[in-house]
Amino acid sequence: MKLDPRTKLFLAIVANSVILSAPPVYSVLMFAVPAILLLFEKKWKFVLAFFSLYLAAVLGFEHLKTMDVGRVGTLAVSTMMIVSRMMPITIVLYYVMQTTKANEFMAGMSRMHVPNKVTIPLTVMIRFFPTVFDESRAIGNAMKMRGIRLFSLHTLKNPLTILEYRLIPLLVSITKIGDELSVAASTRALAPDTRRTCIVPIGFHVQDAVVFVYCIAVIAFVVVSHI
Amino acid sequence: MKITLKDVSFSYTDSIDDAILKDVNLQIESGECVVLAGESGSGKTTISKLINGLIPLYQSGTMAGDVFLGDKNTSDMTLAEISKYVGSVFQNPRSQFFNIDTDSEIAFGCENLGIEPEEIRRRIEKTVEDFHLESLLGRNIFHLSGGEKQKIACASVNATDPDIFVLDEPSANLDLKTVDDLAEIIKLWKSRGKTVVVVEHRLHYLRDIADRIIYVKEGRIECEWTPAELEAKGPEYAASLGLRSIKLVQLGGTGVSPAAQRGESITFRNLRFAYQRKFPILDIPELSLPKGKITALLGHNGAGKSTLAQLVCGLRGSWSQKRAARKLGTYLIMQDVNHQLFTESVLDEVLLGMNPKDESAALEILDSLNLKDYVEKHPMALSGGQKQRVAIASGVSSNRNLIVFDEPTSGLDYRQMLAVSATLKALANRGKTLFVITHDPELVLNCCQHVIRMDRGRIVEEYSL
Repeated sequence: MKLDPRTKLFLAIVANSVILSAPPVYSVLMFAVPAILLLFEKKWKFVLAFFSLYLAAVLGFEHLKTMDVGRVGTLAVSTMMIVSRMMPITIVLYYVMQTTKANEFMAGMSRMHVPNKVTIPLTVMIRFFPTVFDESRAIGNAMKMRGIRLFSLHTLKNPLTILEYRLIPLLVSITKIGDELSVAASTRALAPDTRRTCIVPIGFHVQDAVVFVYCIAVIAFVVVSHI
Repeated sequence: MKITLKDVSFSYTDSIDDAILKDVNLQIESGECVVLAGESGSGKTTISKLINGLIPLYQSGTMAGDVFLGDKNTSDMTLAEISKYVGSVFQNPRSQFFNIDTDSEIAFGCENLGIEPEEIRRRIEKTVEDFHLESLLGRNIFHLSGGEKQKIACASVNATDPDIFVLDEPSANLDLKTVDDLAEIIKLWKSRGKTVVVVEHRLHYLRDIADRIIYVKEGRIECEWTPAELEAKGPEYAASLGLRSIKLVQLGGTGVSPAAQRGESITFRNLRFAYQRKFPILDIPELSLPKGKITALLGHNGAGKSTLAQLVCGLRGSWSQKRAARKLGTYLIMQDVNHQLFTESVLDEVLLGMNPKDESAALEILDSLNLKDYVEKHPMALSGGQKQRVAIASGVSSNRNLIVFDEPTSGLDYRQMLAVSATLKALANRGKTLFVITHDPELVLNCCQHVIRMDRGRIVEEYSL
């Protein structure tokens, strides 16, 4: 089930605004869409893990929110709340990132007459997420080997040092990669003023129409039920 | 297409006085394959950037003189225009990909040039056939090995069908087998009449392909040879210029396995690892490393060397293996040392792992690694070799007995390789046991006493040098 990149963008925008502005019940209506689409991509493990964690967070929060749970408990409850509010957004973004190729995205943007100057940095950002994870993993390994643990007496006393240890090497290596990446891209004719083609055909199909209609229906529903 | 450099000087600063290139004149004929050799910092990469237009169109600095592609002056062209004629492959396979999947990556340059999708698909098909890439199609680039990534990079520039190919240290991260594949690709380009310019430290794989080897020193073209001429002058001559050997250095063992003449050794048992039970990545019943000696680990990309290193260092494996690694005290010097430098000064970096913190001991260690003058510097502000030594210092200071090196000399010239080799020897003299993963036969000959060769997750050969 392939959606046009423009549909995905629309879905992401609508889903995020509904999830962030309407009561949590409505967000189910929105993140069900990427969840179903991810099932088509055979990502059932991810979807299952997502729903288990989400349910645990929501139920935990609902169950505990009125109880007196002490200081540590309050920390746990507020974490649950943040998790239950943020997770729907992650699944939408995960779906878009996982299924959109850089060239499709650029083609979609250019069909909407968005200038390359805006599109290229956005595309680089998409390309960068996996890089950041990759680098971060390597740095985590290096820290483990040095015996710097995430939780120790030292880091509990100085929580900022752990941030520093992780961020400095990460920033240095991704700045370097970013620079080399833009050199490589500019020697391969990626420039703000060129007209690109795209080997992946993009265009609207029935499934795009369904998603569009559904999104508009949810917006209407949210608006009407709030008047 | 002919390449002409006319009285070119270039400086990375505002003043032409600190020029890295000085009055370079060079003509490369259409269909020639030329190697630019020389020590790091000699200016050879700068010449390659002049040809692919990164200088003056991307890199800021001061330039004098002209560069012509055919009869066009590059300073009158745009990078997009130049990329129709010149295709570039870079050193680091990690950072030249714009896409996440291989197919889109091969198409990327063509799409940017606005070529019709039908034509692009035809070109991809042809490229895949020529380069034997069938098994790499439709893959996630993040899951490919360094050699596979480099092949995709070559395929991607090949699809845009330029007249000139510029390769900047393309083999730096490749093993001997993938270097052969790279040689095949360059041969193919040459046979089609393309002009190929390769900036390289490793010369052996270009011996039968290159028409000329141009030696760059301190920003000037010092001299040039045919590969046969350079070979005839002998290995000592090449080494005196800081060049890697043009003949592939053959490692020959004495045939005696280390076990036979073993003194004390560090032994690991049951080094096994698999993502899926049926496909073991690593299956080594016993690994013995002679104490206080340097052991080299050879093998192709994907033979399981890095996994072995991670097991030995306790970054992977069962809980008891990790505990054993901690007890023994192992330390890994990563290929990208940027990942393992955390603090704000070289001294802090060394003190970080020390328990108890002893500043005079830390200074002594830094002194022994020639880092005394950089004690207060930020580790990230140092050169690559210095960073590597800081990482080593932090391993030594935390009292680790076994230090594992992952490709310590990839992309280094002869002199830098000798410096690393000297550091390794000094560490062994301190009583450390060293285990060096490497593709570099010259490093092995220079400092290693034992060699272990791996293939498909098993040790297939062990010998002493």
